Amino acid sequence: MATRRGFLAGLASLSLPGLGWADVGSPAWLAAGKEGEDYVLHGLRSDGESLFSIPLPARGHAAAAHPARPEAVAFARRPGVFAIVLDCFTGAIRHRLTPPEGRQFNGHGAFSADGALLMTSEVVAEGSEGRIGIWETETYRRIGEWQTGGIGPHDMKRLADGRLIVANGGIQTDPSDRSTLNLDTMRSNLALLSPEGEILEIAELEPELHQNSLRHLALVGEGVAVALQWQGELSDPVPLLARWEPGRAITLFEAAPEEIYTMKGYAGSIAANQGMIAISSPRGGAVMVFGEDGTPLATHRRADICGLAALDQGFVASDGGGGIWALGGAQAPLRALRHGATSWDNHMVPIG
Amino acid sequence: MSRFRPFGFALALICGTGPAMADLKQAVDAVMLPGFATFAKATAALETQTESHFTETGGQCDPTTLRPAFNKAFDAWMALSWLHFGPSEEGGTALAIRFWPDPKGLGAKAQRGLLLGDPASLEPELFAKQSVAARGLTGLERLLYPGEPPGADPCPLLRATVKDLARLASVLDAGWTGDQGFAQLLLSAGSDGNTRFLTRTEAMQAVFTQLMGGLEFIADQRLGRPLGEEDKPRPERAEARASGRATRNFLLELQAIRRLTAALEPDAAGTIAAMDRAIVAAGKLDEPQLAGVSDPERREKILEVQRLVRSARTIALSEMAPVLGVGLGFNSQDGD
Repeated sequence: MATRRGFLAGLASLSLPGLGWADVGSPAWLAAGKEGEDYVLHGLRSDGESLFSIPLPARGHAAAAHPARPEAVAFARRPGVFAIVLDCFTGAIRHRLTPPEGRQFNGHGAFSADGALLMTSEVVAEGSEGRIGIWETETYRRIGEWQTGGIGPHDMKRLADGRLIVANGGIQTDPSDRSTLNLDTMRSNLALLSPEGEILEIAELEPELHQNSLRHLALVGEGVAVALQWQGELSDPVPLLARWEPGRAITLFEAAPEEIYTMKGYAGSIAANQGMIAISSPRGGAVMVFGEDGTPLATHRRADICGLAALDQGFVASDGGGGIWALGGAQAPLRALRHGATSWDNHMVPIG
Repeated sequence: MSRFRPFGFALALICGTGPAMADLKQAVDAVMLPGFATFAKATAALETQTESHFTETGGQCDPTTLRPAFNKAFDAWMALSWLHFGPSEEGGTALAIRFWPDPKGLGAKAQRGLLLGDPASLEPELFAKQSVAARGLTGLERLLYPGEPPGADPCPLLRATVKDLARLASVLDAGWTGDQGFAQLLLSAGSDGNTRFLTRTEAMQAVFTQLMGGLEFIADQRLGRPLGEEDKPRPERAEARASGRATRNFLLELQAIRRLTAALEPDAAGTIAAMDRAIVAAGKLDEPQLAGVSDPERREKILEVQRLVRSARTIALSEMAPVLGVGLGFNSQDGD
């Protein structure tokens, strides 16, 4: 352990005077939101209390937390023109990241395990071809980019061995707004990238589900669980939860017939914990909990619910009406942790 | 520890007082609760009639004699079909009552399994666990208006489906009434211990969401599915074609939505007038199966109803939402 501690201390000392997340109260999650007409990023403690809040220039989406330093990168909604590196101790903006000419941020990002690199999901503005932007994290200089092997990459997750899984949502968007351009021909996939950015494997769904967009990821087992968004007809009930382990095919999990319309074809966020996977739907006003084998366990109702993360034996969830909720286990009812004036945006991003 | 912008959750107490004008109690007492009571009564009457019919005929059945009572129950459901919250959404109860749309034909398939399968599955307790797709009004319609002769005697299945439907209706009614009922949850929004509705605004938002969702479903699904594309109408997708209720269903639904609007916000004159325009136009349609979607002249009249329903929704959003202090969801209206 001495080695690890020394390693972390060394990292932190590179730019900040040894500060860690504990120095800002050990927040559990980062969450973007809206207060009145203002957009903010909060650091939340595990009981839902806000430890800090930092203004954002426009509506945020997801964020990425540096593994050691109290430093967060807040991403704009896609197609995004900003990503902001925030000092969570002082609240100061340390860096403003702008994508290179002809690129746009697409909502998510991740740090490398050692915190030395930031990876950002991006599209080539014309055509929405996927890129991962690579930034070093001392001065946040862009040092390169990787292909993602698909259109419209959104979420990404780093496996323990440093390989990266990218959800190429498949949706081409107009560079100037959020309108979709290719719903008839779209094809989503999951790409596995080596730690150096080489595409190792690509998995996609069967052709009749080509309008099912693989968008958000949670680490499960040797791979990921995936939350999907159906771009086809709402009356066609399709699976919105999948799992993928590299080297295998994607497995889809159907909802029970009594729940096939619960999510309104839209899973907005996903988290995994204690052998369970939860997906949320702000459109359906519900969180559905499954076993890791896809067995439906429970459905919880709450309007505009979306943000999800692991908490204790279950999950925590946030909603657009200002609520933060604990889901004890699969069957326990939603328990209000906090309720306030912040409309919580799509994601709760775990720190550490 | 840094606290450069302390954040007060107590703000909610100031912001969450909710609208003073809108009459949630009137909406609950005058529209919702009577609706569930009427549906329970109508399905109980259908059950009574089915039972006596079986007694009279010694277990034989003539489905046609049960059609009027079935239609009354269906009418009663259409006054509620769009209220998707509370007991209706628990365990898929609303879907078990009315499974539609069903583009994959899950219902017919599951029902065939019941018709040809082990009669024990028709016992009430087991039947209640059968697929929601096979049961309810949708299942009954297939039995009462069969397109082709059934592969086995449909009478035991008919009886079981009627019994199950009446049970579901009474479960719903019970779930809405009483001290612990959902009506009370709506009306006690914001009080201690009410974790379903933390503020009165949340309850108002939930009701408004039902109203908006109901209008959207009529325009996009009940009308939109059969309308299909301009060059590719889909008359086979109209709902309840066998019983000829395709237009009647959304007309009844529109009328119920209008009743709720008038009870909730009587001053929403623009919205109510817009709903009336849609109701009048729908009432003029002579389209029991919406087959006219394939005929240019008749299609135009159906499209006009769809436009009027969408317009009523737009007007409700601009006129009612600010008064009720609600909106469309922060996350739900827009993708990621």
